[in-house]
Amino acid sequence: MSELADTIEATLTEEPLQFGELADRHRAVAWRDFLHAWGEVREKDILKRDDIGRYYIPGGEAEAIAAETKAI
Amino acid sequence: MAKKAFRDFLHDLEEAGEIQRVAKPVDPRDLSGLASQTDKAVLFEEIEGYPGWRVATALLSSRRRLAITLDCEEDRIAQEFETRSARAIAPEFVGNAPCQEVVMEGDDVDLTALPFPMMHVYDGGPYISGTFVVSNDAEYGRNAGSYRMMYRNRRETGIDLVSPSDMRFYYQRMLDRGEPLPIAVAVGVHPFEMLAASYKAPIASDELELAGGLHGAAVPMVKCRTVDLEVPADSEIVLEGEILPIGWTADEGPFGEFSQISGDVKWNPVFRVNCITHRRDPVFYLLQMPWENDWLSAPVTEAAGLQALRVASVEPVAIRAPVGSCGYWTLIASIRKRPGEGKNALLALLSVAEVKLAIVTDDDIDINNPDDIDWALTFRVQADQDLITLSGARGKHVDPSIRAWEMGQGGLPLTAKLGIDATIPEGIPKWLYKRIEAYGKDRLRLEDYL
Repeated sequence: MSELADTIEATLTEEPLQFGELADRHRAVAWRDFLHAWGEVREKDILKRDDIGRYYIPGGEAEAIAAETKAI
Repeated sequence: MAKKAFRDFLHDLEEAGEIQRVAKPVDPRDLSGLASQTDKAVLFEEIEGYPGWRVATALLSSRRRLAITLDCEEDRIAQEFETRSARAIAPEFVGNAPCQEVVMEGDDVDLTALPFPMMHVYDGGPYISGTFVVSNDAEYGRNAGSYRMMYRNRRETGIDLVSPSDMRFYYQRMLDRGEPLPIAVAVGVHPFEMLAASYKAPIASDELELAGGLHGAAVPMVKCRTVDLEVPADSEIVLEGEILPIGWTADEGPFGEFSQISGDVKWNPVFRVNCITHRRDPVFYLLQMPWENDWLSAPVTEAAGLQALRVASVEPVAIRAPVGSCGYWTLIASIRKRPGEGKNALLALLSVAEVKLAIVTDDDIDINNPDDIDWALTFRVQADQDLITLSGARGKHVDPSIRAWEMGQGGLPLTAKLGIDATIPEGIPKWLYKRIEAYGKDRLRLEDYL
């Protein structure tokens, strides 16, 4: 895993985010590098989606926040 | 007549003053946001991190540009589409193709080599939105359609197969055998190929022949390198691979749908890419949602409506699939009516794909004028006599009112349909609808009094 992929994984364990929100946080990174890192996280098959489409990874605070979020 | 390529169409738009060129470098994350700020089509000439690539978008985001495509007046689009599509021209096969000037195979395959754009705020990832996807079935033959693809990793995308389509059917047949469905995805094809891909043709018909008819010339096809399929040789980019036999199990979306709504997360199969080919100086096509998709849908829906009316022996005068219904869900037609044909026309129009509202008027109504339609609805309709409703017809997931999520993963939703007969009712004399006219209007000239 690249350092950027580790960062993405840690972020999504902490809080659920829309893909666009995640991309915004890494605006300084070249788009292609960001996509490579995102692909690495995807390949681990650990990503979940909450009711409003946010990505999160179970095992941390994000899971609890996602569980509380219901689409209205 | 020579068949035109994607870049020939860019040239046509430029000549018509319909393209905005953007010379400064643009990050792929910003392409859609910038293009949304102009009514013109846009050609981004320099893409940050992608030397040698250009991106074209919003090519068909207006009825005018659709008319330019078909070389006709804006109010003749459906008729022109119908005339051209009636003359099927078989594709021809060529040995060498511009779309294979650069080849990535094996470990070299990396989808991030393409300037995958970010399109909408709530999208589940970057998307390829303007695809021409070719597949084949041993019994039914070649098919071409358009399916959005969400980036997953270097080798994989999600592919939207939630709606009924021929390729979904092909995929289901392979899935039943536990086998992948090989596909080839062309990006950057002429709008005629995109229109043919949008057309709800009978399953055994060939969209490439339809595209040939629209062009008035055969579409040159080249054999793919890793799958037993052919693609338009003049495409800008081609992805070869297979839809994995995993069914509707992978998260895909949300995506800014052609319904003009940000959709929800869907469950779809995954497309694994085994080979990427492209031109040496590729132009990536970003189909700008929703308007470009909606204007692409309109002529196809309108032509299908004209055909349905003729099969029902009703004489159409004009037809419109308004962009407010995404060029897809509503058909408004004026007809030269004989007794009873208002209702026959409604039944015909409601048989078209997922059309859920049909309005039929007489030929004195200008269906391109919303006020004229309102007038007909007000004075020619009695709600207890002139409405038709149908339940349980085929629906489309992107319509929230049909509660598609209740169908579960891979389920197909149903919809109700409404027809409104706004023709002059039988038994009411036509003279009762005579419009008022100012006395002396034809004799007098205001400028003579100024």
